[in-house]
Amino acid sequence: MKNVAVLGVGMSRFGMWPDRSNADMGLEAGLAALADAGLSFRDVNAAYTGHIFAPAMSGVRVMKELGCTGLPVQRIENASATGSAAFAEACWAVESGRWDVVMVLGFDKMTAMIQQSTQGTDPANLEDAILPAAFFALWATRRMHERRTKPEHLAAIAAKNWNNGRLNPMSQRQAEREVTVEKVLASKMVAWPLTAMMACPIGDGAACAIVGRKDLARRLRPGRPVVEVKASHLGSEKYERGHLFVGPVVGPARMTRDAAADVYAQAGVGPTDLDLVQVHDAFAIEELEYYELLGLCGEGEAEACIARGDFALDGRVAVSTDGGLIARGHPGGPTGLAQIWETTLQLRGEAGKRQRPNARTGLCHMMGGGSVCIVHVLQRA
Amino acid sequence: MPDAPRPRVPVKPGYFTIPDDPAAPPRLLGTRCEACGEHYFPRRKVCARPECLSTRTTDVELGPHGTLYSYTFVHFPLFGSMKVEHIGYGVGQVDLAEGPRVQLPLAGRQEEYRVGMPVVAELEPLREDAGRDVVIVRFRPAEGAR
Repeated sequence: MKNVAVLGVGMSRFGMWPDRSNADMGLEAGLAALADAGLSFRDVNAAYTGHIFAPAMSGVRVMKELGCTGLPVQRIENASATGSAAFAEACWAVESGRWDVVMVLGFDKMTAMIQQSTQGTDPANLEDAILPAAFFALWATRRMHERRTKPEHLAAIAAKNWNNGRLNPMSQRQAEREVTVEKVLASKMVAWPLTAMMACPIGDGAACAIVGRKDLARRLRPGRPVVEVKASHLGSEKYERGHLFVGPVVGPARMTRDAAADVYAQAGVGPTDLDLVQVHDAFAIEELEYYELLGLCGEGEAEACIARGDFALDGRVAVSTDGGLIARGHPGGPTGLAQIWETTLQLRGEAGKRQRPNARTGLCHMMGGGSVCIVHVLQRA
Repeated sequence: MPDAPRPRVPVKPGYFTIPDDPAAPPRLLGTRCEACGEHYFPRRKVCARPECLSTRTTDVELGPHGTLYSYTFVHFPLFGSMKVEHIGYGVGQVDLAEGPRVQLPLAGRQEEYRVGMPVVAELEPLREDAGRDVVIVRFRPAEGAR
């Protein structure tokens, strides 16, 4: 990808907001992104909206809150990776020359979604009988068998993300004091060996990114570092022996490995060039596996790297710098765009207390149930 | 005289057999690709291997024996269950001898399981419905496994 930049980003803080609507949160994120970009809504050529369980017409309706300019509005949906999928389509639309400026707006009220989905759940449906936590607990048990991983390693990842969230004013979870490994381990057992503090919360929220031609970024905000989108990958499951067809939340590990190889080739970078990484850490065991699948460390090395603090804010490569899904939250549609928000601020040097010094290259990884894997590489020009 | 066993119906049709003999284990309803020999659970019409994609597929019965690939015990009730013993339940991924990996509930307690052990499928009543037992398929440790 050669001609795409993130022009602006905005968020409406994730949380349990029973009194806030998708339109309200979406407007806040959209206006924040326009202000950040230095654009008027009149300048936006097209919009891609991302929501999972909001009613069918929500995308185009929420966009009207920003003004009725007649622009094309398209909804993109890909489960947890919805925001990332909408972002990918917007980037390719700019890269291909179709549009100069595209707004990507993700929003969701997962609190409402949970109510809907349990009402609609037929207990006779084998696929619905097993919690997502159980699926990822199966990853953890297997990992513990193969690599002698301990619950303490998973707790260390979760504690790191909770504590990164304390430095991010947009994080859903704001722990009052430093979160320890012991505290994570002592929280309620959900699916052995995963505890509640090793899992992301449900929540509501919105996030927005505006992408456009690279030269526009320079013209709109002279003197501000330009954040380019260097690579974009979206892939679905590829069959191999051991493939699960009933009950998986996400597909086989190789989806992330293949995605990483593709984006590194597209961007002309390798894992050692990365300053910061955001992953789909809905559960701490996922982040552990993605360290290796993204090549941040060698196979079987994750536990030693965790013990050394390699993935802390001041470590070798900072992972889940904004708190990740575990702390910053995971409402659904906006989640992937929150990763773009964080990475863009970091690459501009605007991430406040959690700033990674001189960050130049960042990677954003999301899994969407079904399943898809979506990865982007962003780089300061 | 003991009560006659209630008739058994699957929680969802098309996934497993219910043998007439109450002592016989269920089998899983799967597919074999006649072009490349790959087996699948559940049933499908087209071979999923990117190198094959044949539509020459046949319905087969798989299991009931397999090897435990991974397991967990969940500290919440099994959806749709009215039985006290289902508050907290096991889930396992099992590699069937024919090749497919399946993810299904586990019987018993966490302490009875370890990765790599032989397991076997069984039917378990989930609830009663109009005089019939609604059953699920799950795995338990195979005889002699430890």
